[in-house]
Amino acid sequence: MIPMIVFTFFAALTVVCSLLMILQKNPMHSVLYLAFTVLAIAGVFFTLQADFVGAIQLLVYAGGIVVLYLFVIIIINLNQMKAERRKLFPTLFLVAVPVLALVELCYVIFGRGIEHGPEGQVAITLPQLSGELLTTYLIPFEISSILLLAVLVGAIIIARPGARS
Amino acid sequence: MIRIEAIVALGCAVFCIGLLGVLVRKNLMVILMSLELLLNGVNILLIGFGLHLQSVAGQIFVLFVVMMAVAEAAVGFALILAYCRHRETYNLDEINDLKG
Repeated sequence: MIPMIVFTFFAALTVVCSLLMILQKNPMHSVLYLAFTVLAIAGVFFTLQADFVGAIQLLVYAGGIVVLYLFVIIIINLNQMKAERRKLFPTLFLVAVPVLALVELCYVIFGRGIEHGPEGQVAITLPQLSGELLTTYLIPFEISSILLLAVLVGAIIIARPGARS
Repeated sequence: MIRIEAIVALGCAVFCIGLLGVLVRKNLMVILMSLELLLNGVNILLIGFGLHLQSVAGQIFVLFVVMMAVAEAAVGFALILAYCRHRETYNLDEINDLKG
């Protein structure tokens, strides 16, 4: 009972904050709500007994990506904040696509239900996780380090001033 | 005990809100933030099904998705910085030239 209440709390927080995030006019406020959303999603992960991934979410998203967003918005100062204008019909169409997709997904999920898995929800321990990561998924793990190195070099080269000359 | 249907509904809701942001907004920064929402929705689904099926693969895939999100954010910001230094705008209506 208590896990369900906590999960509902964090789920409501996630949905409300993400809606507020895309509705803000000022990008700085959007970043604030993004931080709230990320923290709430980390709470959802903790409720789903994924402690390690929740901690990673807090460290990488709340500590890294959100701060990166803040810095970029500070660097590009946006004193020309234009109102976003779009005609009524395209707006209605663009809003209708995700909303209808969500309605259809919820209809299918709750109408048909999902097959039961193994009984009981036992938490996956960290030794299990790391053992699997370093044996079965070793090659993707190593390749991801190459990807991160490429991103490091590429981001510096692209963002360097005077790169165009 | 959390019902799997609730978890899947939350993941789909976050994904669809992110999709809404990507489609409707015209500010480049907010679009990138909505992309993070898309990835987070998928992460919730992966963790929920990992718990439901008692599988380690869900959490491992979340780790890979987070790593990819970091890579995407870093390169995206580099591109935005390079473009804004050049054109001084990041409204999507004015970013319509292929040649700099």
